[in-house]
Amino acid sequence: MNKPLPTAVPASTEEARIRWTAEYAAQLPGEPEVRNRSGIPVKPLYTPLDIDAGRYDADLGFPGEPPYTRGIYATMHRGRTWTQRQLIGLGTPADYNARLLDLLDKGATAVSLIPCNSVYRGFDMDQVYPELLGTCGVVANTADHMDTCLAGVDLARTSCSLNDPLPFTLLAFMLAVAKRRGVDWKHVGGTSNQSDYISHFVANHMFFRVALPGSRRVLTDHVAWCNAHAPKWNPVSVVGQHMQQAGATPAEAMAFTLSTAIQYAEDCIAAGLAPDAFLPRFTFFFDISISFFEEVAKFRAGRRLWARIVRERFGARDPRSWRFKFHAQTSGLDLTRQQPLNNVARVTAQAIAGIFGGLQSLHTDAYDEVLSCPTQFGARIAVATQNILREEAHLTDVIDPLGGSYYVESLTDAMEERIVEIMDDVDAQGGMYAAVQSGYVQRRIGESARAYQARVESGEQTIVGVNKYAVEEDASARPALPKPDPALMQAHLDAFARWKAQRSQAEADRALAALARAAQGRDNTFGAVVAAAIAGCTHGEICTTLRRELGFGQPLVVV
Amino acid sequence: MTLRPKVLVTKIGLDGHDRGSRIVAAHLRDAGMEVVYTPPWQEIPAVVKLAQEEDVDVIGISSLATDHLIVPRLMEALRAAGLSEVGVIVGGIVPDDDERALLAAGVARVFHPGSSLADIAEYVRELAARSRSAKFAA
Amino acid sequence: MPMWKPGSDPEAIRRGDRAAIARAITALENEMPGAAALVDALAADAGRAHVVGITGAPGAGKSTLIAALLAECTRRGKRVAVVAVDPSSPLSGGAVLGDRIRMSEAAAAENVFVRSLASRGHAGGIARTTRRIVDLLDAAGFDLVIVETVGAGQSEVAIAELADTCLVVCPPGLGDDVQAIKAGILEIADVLVVSKGDSELAQGTVRDLREMLALRAKRDGWNVPVLLTSAARGEGVAALLDAAEAHVQACGRARRRVRVDAIPSGERTPTAQLAARDAFARHCRIEHVDSGAGRAEMAMTVSAEHLNFNGTCHGGALFALADSAFGLASNSHGRVAAGIEAHIAYHAPAREGDRLVARAVEVSRAARLATYRIEVRRASHAAGELVASFTGTVYITARHHDAPAENAPTRSSRRSP
Repeated sequence: MNKPLPTAVPASTEEARIRWTAEYAAQLPGEPEVRNRSGIPVKPLYTPLDIDAGRYDADLGFPGEPPYTRGIYATMHRGRTWTQRQLIGLGTPADYNARLLDLLDKGATAVSLIPCNSVYRGFDMDQVYPELLGTCGVVANTADHMDTCLAGVDLARTSCSLNDPLPFTLLAFMLAVAKRRGVDWKHVGGTSNQSDYISHFVANHMFFRVALPGSRRVLTDHVAWCNAHAPKWNPVSVVGQHMQQAGATPAEAMAFTLSTAIQYAEDCIAAGLAPDAFLPRFTFFFDISISFFEEVAKFRAGRRLWARIVRERFGARDPRSWRFKFHAQTSGLDLTRQQPLNNVARVTAQAIAGIFGGLQSLHTDAYDEVLSCPTQFGARIAVATQNILREEAHLTDVIDPLGGSYYVESLTDAMEERIVEIMDDVDAQGGMYAAVQSGYVQRRIGESARAYQARVESGEQTIVGVNKYAVEEDASARPALPKPDPALMQAHLDAFARWKAQRSQAEADRALAALARAAQGRDNTFGAVVAAAIAGCTHGEICTTLRRELGFGQPLVVV
Repeated sequence: MTLRPKVLVTKIGLDGHDRGSRIVAAHLRDAGMEVVYTPPWQEIPAVVKLAQEEDVDVIGISSLATDHLIVPRLMEALRAAGLSEVGVIVGGIVPDDDERALLAAGVARVFHPGSSLADIAEYVRELAARSRSAKFAA
Repeated sequence: MPMWKPGSDPEAIRRGDRAAIARAITALENEMPGAAALVDALAADAGRAHVVGITGAPGAGKSTLIAALLAECTRRGKRVAVVAVDPSSPLSGGAVLGDRIRMSEAAAAENVFVRSLASRGHAGGIARTTRRIVDLLDAAGFDLVIVETVGAGQSEVAIAELADTCLVVCPPGLGDDVQAIKAGILEIADVLVVSKGDSELAQGTVRDLREMLALRAKRDGWNVPVLLTSAARGEGVAALLDAAEAHVQACGRARRRVRVDAIPSGERTPTAQLAARDAFARHCRIEHVDSGAGRAEMAMTVSAEHLNFNGTCHGGALFALADSAFGLASNSHGRVAAGIEAHIAYHAPAREGDRLVARAVEVSRAARLATYRIEVRRASHAAGELVASFTGTVYITARHHDAPAENAPTRSSRRSP
């Protein structure tokens, strides 16, 4: 992308710049270049000479209309604050429900659910070692379990993010519950938070349940089904977080995410859906690292790019298709085990970067996230952090407050350029699906991860309390970690066994057979999953059936 | 001919995050060791079989969620298979009281986030040397 | 270096004891004292396994294919061992042995044994000691021993020395890549496999390879098939295993049939270089199979010109076969040795088409005299039936073998009595 020439700058500014440059060099001769995580050089000072004020309309514009750099809505956080959506999940459905109601009571405005790792792997609770159950997420295998999880939650009015990868059994259970409660599916709102199978294939493997071609099919079916039956539901969340956490630089994470979104859009179009029919329901999910300005620039560049892509590449005409809606989570990778309370400061910095980046939904990590699954105490501080930033620091009184900053605009342009370069590389591979099949993306991310590790090992990148400013710590000061009550989990297992014994096995088998037939043929697989959920099939049964028909998902591991 | 340490780097349990284990594996290779690398979600019996066939000196388990909770089962399985001399280390997120339990179960050492790769490599080398002597002295 | 005591291990190896096999492989890999002797002690138990070499460019899909083959072998009730060789880093000497990544599930089966080896700098991607490891696994009773190696190129003919059947795996689209077709890859293949058969390019690659093969002369009367597999869809794998079996049925279980002259001379071992200069052995169509310190293996397929007036293999031909192994083993320590006495006993007749293998082992060696025992067995027989046994004594001279130059005139390495 060619940098536009700055509109005429007064001679006095140029003279001052020359004076300052000489003075700076005299005081700091031979200073090594500083580069951010994406490899972009960062100067000590930015001035009007670095941006072209004459291009405000073309490059920045006003929030709520193209180019969208400053925000996707006219009012942004003043009109509607970001959704406080804290991820939670632990233990049994009853545990989850208690924690959820507590959070909603304390100010969180939406529901998010993290299932147990056993669920991620596609297993029912009786298929894994019991000590692993419920340690990092809630153990929900049936519609009944989901009913308990969401007791007291008005499904017609509460946005629910389900962190369940395809085939989205948890959503199917939730829809079954909605049906029981007489809530029309047209009112059910939320997001399939882990629908991005490409990112799972690359980086977050345990979510990857079904082989790549099968995943492609199920996701497309999911989009089509939600389009028709649950129009308020966001079936696609393209997840940059996984790749950034696997080591991708912020520019790579944004580039690979946008490329993935393009791939999904192309697949939906190939399946006969019109762009404006599904693009308004595409959402994104990003990591926010502590590289503050880089993250702000990353989000602004991404927003600007996506708006251009959907119009130019897909011909989308509905403005709702042009909006880059994203949820962001503060990055757990920047948190340390050493002096864990320092993490509160880190999360605060990350959250501010995300807010200034114009997110629509935010999760702040608890300070003890890196020690194991967070405590309730830590989770409360995380929610309070958001409230403090919004209502005490007044961070949202002004839309895109960093807009116009010589540095931030210059960096936004540079990030956009870098992102486009990487996206061109992916295009040269034949698109994101082909690029991950061949291992290209995995290798690239692996290199970035190793490069970052080398910088940490050498001390070039400081980690406070780890490679610098380390102090002797009192180990007993670290809080005890929550584990699910073994007795309660055993009771949960026993109840599950009893429930299976008394459910209609014939009905379940019929639904599983129908699911298998749908997978073999061309019927909508997600529709069959929902039917199976209503018929009393378990999560494990549904996943096993689809894996058998469509192939067991083995991610490509590249060392 | 020098005996290069032969190390298995693997993950058991449910979690799939393997960024750390891949970095450690690459570093051990750069330190001159021969590293057998597996994908995550290895079953315990498969790990024992692999350790036996590959005649590994050290097993490095990466655990970022709570998969460390089943490491004692692995230690028991290794003992039952006559592989007690194989050194086992665990790297990742392990709370303090769980660390004590692991060491009691026979794990040689737990490495926490922020551990330096150089320290890990040096320790693995020592552990491998001990393991080799024990294996061939019998 | 810790001493490894082989002790009771031979019996444990014959039983297929996993731990004993693994320890023995470690000892062989590190050339610990006693390890080679263990393999020699098990020589009688070897010769039964079908050794299949699998090679191909990185990314061709070898490991995924092997995983599928393992599953097929398990279905057929076969015991399989895999030796997977990965390259050592030239900088650090270490290695990441990642072949098990794609084989993990298949490798967990009881009937499967997988061992990863680092190439440790040996050109050709085959760890120097792989041959002995393969012999060990053979003696341990595996039906199939698969050797998988890195890359493909001119130096990959080394794998052909090791295997009964050589599979070369090509990714789709190979037709465009002339580099990969260069000397070696097509020469050594007994079966060509185009992997990732679900790709659109795969059929075209099969066609290209068949055309290239049609231009080549057949070797040993074997038509090299070009097969298509899709490990992702589980297709073509059973047919591949059948083709490999058909090959060994047709061409025999005597390994290492590749002509020594196909291997660049710089990469041949010193004894292989000597063998290449044995004009009479070549004349009798006796092939060098393997050799090392104090041991040698030569092979011969009995053909029409080897027969006597009774229609069985001429005793002189059997003597020549055994004697060439004798000569090589006795000259393997670097000093010129001359035969002074030899004796042969014939136990069973050999017929046209039989694949005979002569193995020489060192019985004793002193400063000036050494004795060798050579057994000639019918290698294609399951039990390796003993055809003839030969003993010979040499006188060890003070002269050393020179490093042979490519164009040096052929010198007899033995004085005639």
